[in-house]
Amino acid sequence: MKFPDRSALGDMLGTGAIVGMGLFALFLLVAPSIIVLIISFDTRAFVSFPPQGFTFDWYLRVFEQRVLVEAMLNSLQVGITVTLLCIIMGVPTALVCVRGQFRGTTALSIFVLVPHMVPGIVLGVAVLFAAAAIGISPSIGLQSISITVFVLAVMVRTLMSRLQRMDPALEEAAANLGASPFQTLRTVTFPLLMPAILAGAVFTFIEGFDNISVAIFTHGFRDRPLPVELLALVQTTNTPLVAAVSGVQIVLAIIALIVVAASIGLEGVNE
Amino acid sequence: MTIAQDISLASSDKTAPVLRVENVSKRFGTFTVLQSCSISVSEGEIVTLLGSSGCGKTTLLRCIAGFWAPEEGMILIDGHNTVPVPVNRRPVGVVFQSYALFPHLTVEGNVAYGLRMRGVPRSEISRRVADALESVSLRGFENRYPSQLSGGQQQRVAIARVLVLEPRVLLLDEPFNALDAKLRGTMQIELRELIKRLGMTAIFVTHDQEEALTMSDRIAVMQGGRIEQVAPPDEIFDRPATAYVADFIGLSNFIPCKVRDGKVTLPDGQSVATKESDTVKVMIRPHNLRVTAQGTGPWQGQVRFQRNIGPLIEYIVTAGEAEIRVVAMRQDRTRPWSEGDAISLEVIDPEYCTIYPAV
Repeated sequence: MKFPDRSALGDMLGTGAIVGMGLFALFLLVAPSIIVLIISFDTRAFVSFPPQGFTFDWYLRVFEQRVLVEAMLNSLQVGITVTLLCIIMGVPTALVCVRGQFRGTTALSIFVLVPHMVPGIVLGVAVLFAAAAIGISPSIGLQSISITVFVLAVMVRTLMSRLQRMDPALEEAAANLGASPFQTLRTVTFPLLMPAILAGAVFTFIEGFDNISVAIFTHGFRDRPLPVELLALVQTTNTPLVAAVSGVQIVLAIIALIVVAASIGLEGVNE
Repeated sequence: MTIAQDISLASSDKTAPVLRVENVSKRFGTFTVLQSCSISVSEGEIVTLLGSSGCGKTTLLRCIAGFWAPEEGMILIDGHNTVPVPVNRRPVGVVFQSYALFPHLTVEGNVAYGLRMRGVPRSEISRRVADALESVSLRGFENRYPSQLSGGQQQRVAIARVLVLEPRVLLLDEPFNALDAKLRGTMQIELRELIKRLGMTAIFVTHDQEEALTMSDRIAVMQGGRIEQVAPPDEIFDRPATAYVADFIGLSNFIPCKVRDGKVTLPDGQSVATKESDTVKVMIRPHNLRVTAQGTGPWQGQVRFQRNIGPLIEYIVTAGEAEIRVVAMRQDRTRPWSEGDAISLEVIDPEYCTIYPAV
């Protein structure tokens, strides 16, 4: 057919529009990261686009600055602590919410969500004031706890959706085959939850590493985390050093995703 | 485990029933799911709990397995009451409707699971797992994962996984539901032969009467949390104890009749002796009726619908206010009656009719 008729033309236009919107959305998602990465290799000492030249200098400078390295280590520590706390508290909470045989399990599962719905700033201020009232000053520990409260919901929800799709007969089968409740948990429930735990861990780690809305109120004043340090840096300097720090974070996030995808597969992350 | 061992040791008496359910009742809140159910199963017997959904058959199975505790009654295995025995110490093996194979373990891991939980030594585990896989013809599949097996193979792994523990009673919860219709027929025969070869005592749960008739030594028909009748398949079909069983199993016609001097007179004029009095319902199977030319008998009607089902012909006949089903073998020489034909009906064997009190 030489000329497409009206409806075929309409279909083509519609498909084109959808593909176009998809590409635009993808551009919005990826472009900022790519631009930051491009700037981080600029040879000039101020942020400008398009860049000139190519150098790894700024990356070397990031690791030469003690303040930045310490901030990275602090954020790493917070990220790991938040992840561990979320696993330790999230697994039992999700088990109770899904398998619990008493009233109030639904209420509990919604209650866990609440801190995540509250704006981070509000939560940060609330934790700061509450801690001050009982004589605890801001620190890496307090920052970890406040972010844990903030992101626990992500871990619990991820685990709950996995548990809800798990055949309850699996645990009954284990019991029927002679496993005690603890053996069932160790040999059946826990291994089957592992992909969900890992997927949840990626999100809680990244949130612990680069959360700023909560952390800005609860971090220790001598142990500044990376996002807070970065904010201070942007306010005082205009060098591609900031872009290089962001570059390090982007690479870190990509590594975390690759590690999980390699261990449980991309579909596991999707869950 | 000691309890399970005690129970296995006590099984020397072959005549005593392996499993005895005595007056078991189960309630959820105010709703009674099981009402005083009793049944006993002897060594090597296959008994089916048959009923429509909500009749309590799965509840009874779960009570025997120990997933749920009955409020009243006893469940005895080899004479020991198991109601207080925790679920992981009962000598029963459950084959679940979904098979519930552990997806993160291989076939070998699944079959070895129960032995590992019991702390059986490694060398003994591998020997017993090999034997169990041999008996379900799954040698060579040790390192496959459940997702790499067909439905029938998964079912056999589920069976090997429990029989490796040598349970006293095998419980099977609608084990054919996950299989497609074509496979079902052959799997039913295979599974019955396997259970018989192993000499296992088994309880089956199903809502499919054909499956029950194929698989069972005896069938327990359940309704509303009660066991209506326990009998061999032939007896369930030919002499159903209650009108419910008669209606549930196979096709049936119920015809209200009067009793006079200890005899029921059927609409075609023949009579049968009965102990009932006043008004009764007589159940006549469709294949116990014959369609003849009009005027040959007093029971007259009109063919409303006629269809060929392979070797059979089915008629729906309107006789007075009743709709009567008749099934006849298809033969060349008999003229099939067509829709609208005026005909007479005749009971072939009056003794084969069953009689129930009219409610």
